[in-house]
Amino acid sequence: MYIFQNALKNVVRNKGRNILIGIIIFAIITTTVITLGINNTANGIIDDYKTRFGSEVTITPDMQKIMKSGTSLTPRITIEQRKEFSQSKYIKEYKLTANAGISGENIKAVDEATGGGSGTTGMVGDKSEFINPTMQLIGNQFDDFQKGIREITDGKMPENDNECIVSKELAELNNLSVGDVIDVTASLFTDDIDVRNVIYTLTITGIYFDGTEEYGMFANPYLNRRNEVLTTFETITNVVQTDENGITVGSRYFLKDPDMLAAFTTELKAKGLNDIFKVTTDENSYNRVVGPVEGLRSVSITFMIIVLILGSIILILLTSIAIRERKYEIGVLRAMGMKKIKVALGLWVEMLTITAICLVIGIGIGSIIAQPVSNVLLEGQIENAQSDIEGGNVPGFVDMSSIGTSDEPISKLDISLGLHTTLQIIGISLMLATIAGLAAIIKITKYEPIKILMERN
Amino acid sequence: MSVLTLNNVSYKYEGTKKNVLAGISAEFEMGKVYAIVGKSGSGKSTLLSLMAGLDVCVNGEIMYNGKDLKKIDRDIYRAKGIGVIFQAFNLITNATAVENIVLSMNISGVNDKNKKSYAYALLEKVGIDCETAERKVLKLSGGEQQRVGIARALSHNPDIVIADEPTGNLDKDTEADVLGILTSLAHDDGKCVIIVTHSRKVTSIADEIWGINDGKMIPVKQQ
Ligand SMILES: Nc1ncnc2c1ncn2[C@@H]1O[C@H](COP(=O)(O)OP(=O)(O)O)[C@@H](O)[C@H]1O
Ligand SMILES: [Mg+2]
Repeated sequence: MYIFQNALKNVVRNKGRNILIGIIIFAIITTTVITLGINNTANGIIDDYKTRFGSEVTITPDMQKIMKSGTSLTPRITIEQRKEFSQSKYIKEYKLTANAGISGENIKAVDEATGGGSGTTGMVGDKSEFINPTMQLIGNQFDDFQKGIREITDGKMPENDNECIVSKELAELNNLSVGDVIDVTASLFTDDIDVRNVIYTLTITGIYFDGTEEYGMFANPYLNRRNEVLTTFETITNVVQTDENGITVGSRYFLKDPDMLAAFTTELKAKGLNDIFKVTTDENSYNRVVGPVEGLRSVSITFMIIVLILGSIILILLTSIAIRERKYEIGVLRAMGMKKIKVALGLWVEMLTITAICLVIGIGIGSIIAQPVSNVLLEGQIENAQSDIEGGNVPGFVDMSSIGTSDEPISKLDISLGLHTTLQIIGISLMLATIAGLAAIIKITKYEPIKILMERN
Repeated sequence: MSVLTLNNVSYKYEGTKKNVLAGISAEFEMGKVYAIVGKSGSGKSTLLSLMAGLDVCVNGEIMYNGKDLKKIDRDIYRAKGIGVIFQAFNLITNATAVENIVLSMNISGVNDKNKKSYAYALLEKVGIDCETAERKVLKLSGGEQQRVGIARALSHNPDIVIADEPTGNLDKDTEADVLGILTSLAHDDGKCVIIVTHSRKVTSIADEIWGINDGKMIPVKQQ
């Protein structure tokens, strides 16, 4: 017990020296509080944005490459490939959609009189001709149900192949109810315009109320959303041959982490994705929003590491000098029979006490100035980022992906020291005290202070 | 039975060639005052340091109650077995006199409920009043520091008290006081008191006198 008492007394006795050591520790702790606070808050925000932005992959033909190659034909991504891509281990989520213009064999479209095709299949010899689509067969697009704009009023959603749901209007017009079977035709064609008309025979499993806008600009049966027959992706695509066009297929892939983009791209190329395609994430808006925060984070980490290293060196030097001054005192303690380990413990307690005081003041002051410091730094980062964007674009090329996004950069971080950060700071402080204490203890063992007393005789 | 036995003790400082002590043998008993005399630089302080367990001899052995100091825990020996009054006092200078005494008692594991009042009493005995006792050692005169050193050496009630020129900084009256305390310690409390000295007064009260010369120690006066 007396070791602790003596250590506390020593803190007061050697005020001048301890204040000097305290200032260094205080400076280190305060910067740690600020930088760790910024860092951990930034981490939280970045993680949040990473999951929201930048994880959706866009696969688009690279226009520059197409212009260079001179081909007018865009290579296709086959349905098989799209399915294969979705099986990547980098993918968190994916969505395959399909779309086909159809005309009804045994049903009429809403607004059919307004325009559009007759709904009958024209034949010239044994060659099929394009149907005139009056409706759309849509695979795996049920977003409006989630949004609540559409709602199943009768029956249920399609689950298996060749099941579909139709709008109330379409059902009423054709006197359809759940369990009825409809036939619709779509035109498929090869690159040589070899047309093949396929008939989908679909069982109605449900009827939905449709609250969407009926038309776009024109009253037209094909564009009328009441004419959308909703089914599964497989129902539409199962009948399509690899070299056939006519179905619009869409695929959306969401990466587990935007950093996996490169690996995912490599995998896609290995799975046969044509080199013309570029695989991108919505990096631009991610960077615009999160970039400054990332910059702030790396500035603060770098600063913290520098301060920790420099601070530790200064601290070690200071304590070494302090110990040299105190070797006589320690020699006296040893001569009185105090064990080395107790002397060391006393020195460590002294350091811990100084550190604890600095910790309290440091956390207090650090958490007050962390916010303004963060604001100033972040502002600088945003300015940097903006001048980068303005100066960085190749003239003549407007990156389409950045148009229309109105994501403003994050302009304020609400710095708060959570429990996690506080624990980290306490850990670092403990480490500092131990480094300083250890430096002192190593110095003592080297000096053999007990012999110093003999030399003084 | 001797409490401290020197058996052919030799010592030389690290990095030097000459043996400061070259084969010293002697026996010290409880209840007696010993004086060690010799010219400056003859090795008196060195011998005291070895007896105090600050270092071990190169050759020979020093036995405390029959046990070789090289083989026992010298930290405990210093803390409990022996009290040393150093020539250079060796006090904690930025602590008060009374703190020095209490710290020594703590290190020695003295089991006294009120160490502080014991310390004041002890300081009083060597002529340090309460007010002086609460001053930092740094602000005490040489004579006062000497007395604090004496009080500290006695604070844990050791078997052996060794003193290196304990009266060197004292005036005649205080010298007499201190010597009174030291003789009483030997003759009344039965301790072993060993004093290194130049002073005739000290030698006059000693029961035995040893002289150091050229690394050897010879008896000058024995009972
Ligand atoms: N730390 C040391 N290193 C080397 N030589 C020393 C050291 N301390 C003392 N000496 C030498 O040892 C001899 C004895 O010194 P010391 O014991 O202090 O003598 P005394 O106390 O009798 O005056 C002297 O010659 C002195 O120079
Ligand atoms: Mg001497």
